[in-house]
Amino acid sequence: MSKRVHAIYVGSFFIVGILSTLLLVINGYQYYATPLVDRFFNPQNSLLEPSGLVGEGLGVVGSFMMIVGVVIYMIRKRVKAFLHFGYLKNWLELHIFLCTLGPVLVLFHTSFKFGGIVAVSFWSMTAVVLSGVVGRFLYVRIPKTIQGQILSVQELNDIGRDFSRRLQADHHVNDELIRMIETASDYTKLKKETLTNSLTFLVKDSFHMRKTLRAFGKELKSIGLSRHEIRRTKRIARSRMILARRIRLLNVMHRFFRHWHIVHLPFAIVMFVIMFIHIGVVFAFGYRWIF
Amino acid sequence: MTTEKKGSFRYISAVFLITFMAASAFAQISPGPLTTAHANLEGLSNCTKCHVLGKQVENFKCLACHTEIQDLINQNRGYHANPQVRSQNCASCHSEHHGRQFEIIHFDTKSFDHTLTGYPLKGKHATLQCRACHQTKFISSSEFEKRNGTYLGLSTSCSSCHEGPHQGTLGEDCASCHNENSFKPATKFKHDKTEFTLTGAHKKVECAKCHVSEVRNGKPFTQFAGVKFENCVPCHRDLHNGKFGEICEKCHTTVSFTLIEAKTFNHNLTDYPLIGMHADVSCRNCHGDNLNSRPKHALCTDCHKDAHHGDFTVNNVVENCADCHTVYGFKLTTFTIAMHDKGKFRLTGSHLAVPCESCHLSSNSWHFKNLGTQCIDCHKNVHGTELTEEFLPNDNCTSCHTTATWDKVAFDHNKTSFKLLGKHADVSCRSCHYRKNSAGVEVSVFRSLNPHCETCHRDIHFGQFAVQTKGGKFSECQNCHTFNNWSPTNFDHQKTKFPLTGAHAKLACIECHKEVTVNENTFIQYKLKDFRCAACHSS
Repeated sequence: MSKRVHAIYVGSFFIVGILSTLLLVINGYQYYATPLVDRFFNPQNSLLEPSGLVGEGLGVVGSFMMIVGVVIYMIRKRVKAFLHFGYLKNWLELHIFLCTLGPVLVLFHTSFKFGGIVAVSFWSMTAVVLSGVVGRFLYVRIPKTIQGQILSVQELNDIGRDFSRRLQADHHVNDELIRMIETASDYTKLKKETLTNSLTFLVKDSFHMRKTLRAFGKELKSIGLSRHEIRRTKRIARSRMILARRIRLLNVMHRFFRHWHIVHLPFAIVMFVIMFIHIGVVFAFGYRWIF
Repeated sequence: MTTEKKGSFRYISAVFLITFMAASAFAQISPGPLTTAHANLEGLSNCTKCHVLGKQVENFKCLACHTEIQDLINQNRGYHANPQVRSQNCASCHSEHHGRQFEIIHFDTKSFDHTLTGYPLKGKHATLQCRACHQTKFISSSEFEKRNGTYLGLSTSCSSCHEGPHQGTLGEDCASCHNENSFKPATKFKHDKTEFTLTGAHKKVECAKCHVSEVRNGKPFTQFAGVKFENCVPCHRDLHNGKFGEICEKCHTTVSFTLIEAKTFNHNLTDYPLIGMHADVSCRNCHGDNLNSRPKHALCTDCHKDAHHGDFTVNNVVENCADCHTVYGFKLTTFTIAMHDKGKFRLTGSHLAVPCESCHLSSNSWHFKNLGTQCIDCHKNVHGTELTEEFLPNDNCTSCHTTATWDKVAFDHNKTSFKLLGKHADVSCRSCHYRKNSAGVEVSVFRSLNPHCETCHRDIHFGQFAVQTKGGKFSECQNCHTFNNWSPTNFDHQKTKFPLTGAHAKLACIECHKEVTVNENTFIQYKLKDFRCAACHSS
């Protein structure tokens, strides 16, 4: 998948997700903002209530999207036959899209009424989504190959060196400046690899990286590089600094990511189990949507 | 299993455990709490008390508990019995699982279509607040009476909410007279539908005039039912004091009391029965515009003008007209000849046959007083001055005439200087006493009638025997003739200047007295002047 196609691929997810959510909000705001005890008397109730034509449909479609999103991603990840079926990154993006928009639809299916056993499913879903966001945060901070294979520190250092070499060879950056970039994340010590310390470091490092990049840019300008050249050079320097940060946080991210799996998967299982119970009960009582 | 995997499994198990414990502890399958009214149905075991597996919520489940609604549906009463409502699912209006505070019976009082209840709100009802009617005190059913805030249990009967001012006397169907806009007036009431249809002036009478208000059972009450109307008396004062009975409509109509039904009114029941021509007289001729007026009727002149101009008025009172007149016509009189004879002028003779107007009508006016009793008071003296006071004393004709006829005169001519002798006694009066005057008009003559024979008789002797008298030259006929015939009975030739002697005495008169013609008058000449023989005898 080319960069352009990937951009369209991800962009379409983004657009569909945002538009769908906006559509649901705009269409149902008046209804959803109505207190629960009065909502039945809202003119939109018959459509938007959980058992309504739209409301139940949102539940059905949202659930289906989540099931599909989980199933296809798990198959891609765990079934050998599909291990090389497309980039895992793209499947993850599809998984994130389906399992983000799906819960959004389910959220509107609940009409923001959370009660009964299905609420456990909902909150589990919420936990899964939120943990997914965290997971995504952690995931991007664990460098991998394009096939999703986790890179070792050695491999990362090689990549870092490659960045430095490109800065030196292709963009004629002097050693002093390259050292400034390479040591940008070394301004402080990460004493204990706790979550709080790591997050604090991330924030601090972000500001520091910007500061360093600004100084780097000035230096590049002083040596007479063109603006375009400066931008390209700064981009490589930025990648180099991010890589350095990730190498520095690699251990802690690995650790968090391991713990994250413990949260993300069980909540997903709980969500699905109760969701199926809910669907079973609902169907048993005759609420079959359009079927 | 590696240590790492064991740890993961423990984590997963813990999450499951916590999740399901939480689920079982705080949650149920129910999508939300039931309302307070249905709170006793909470719990897994109660789901199917309302829900039917595979069929959501069926009405029969609801109605199995809500029997009062089922009863109303069975009776086809109320909102839920309306086909439009009955066809719906109960849950479409009475939804559940929205929390304890959810208003499961929700009325949008502004949009609720009360028509669906089978009792459309019209008029003032449409402006009322729901609770103005839907309150416990108006619920007659004990089943609903105890329900706080229920909308059930009201009757469509007006009396269930309204205290009937008629106190039950007019039945329960208030709507047959009243509408929902206002109690008064009872616009739907049609008096024509009652047993007493309003006609004529009754239509204009205020209700209260007949339907009196009173206080009954301590409350104001207007009587509408049971008003007596068999006749007019219960409402109308009998101005006739019962004289004509109680069936007023025999004479009166409802158009107006004073407008008498002429066809049915029997005036003969009054003090003044209408007899004869009075029966055909218009009521107003006597009563004027107010038929209820009681005109004087003791005297005819109370209504009638005295056509006799006071001729019969004595002491300012007209004598009884009935002495002469009847009600069958003014001209038809009952005044008899006998009654006339009691007066100053007895009718005799031809007077008996003379119509009244001949004497009493003059100048188109009747006169009865001071007409006079003399003939001349009525009759013209056709004789003028021909009759002397001797024969017409004080213009009294009875010297000659009687009332039998003018023609037969009972006059003794012998009282006159000209006694009727001989043939004269047989001659009609007219033969002598009527003459044509110079104008050719036949007039009577008495005083001016000359007693000489030539006045009446033609002198066939052409004056041969005329002698000079004071009144003129007249023949002295009596010398020869009598009144018995024209024969010269009294003539004695011997007393003449030429007495007959001898042969003369044997001769016929004509031998000597020859027919001569003098001045174209041919006559026998009796008076001879020449007595000489030769005058008759030739030689």
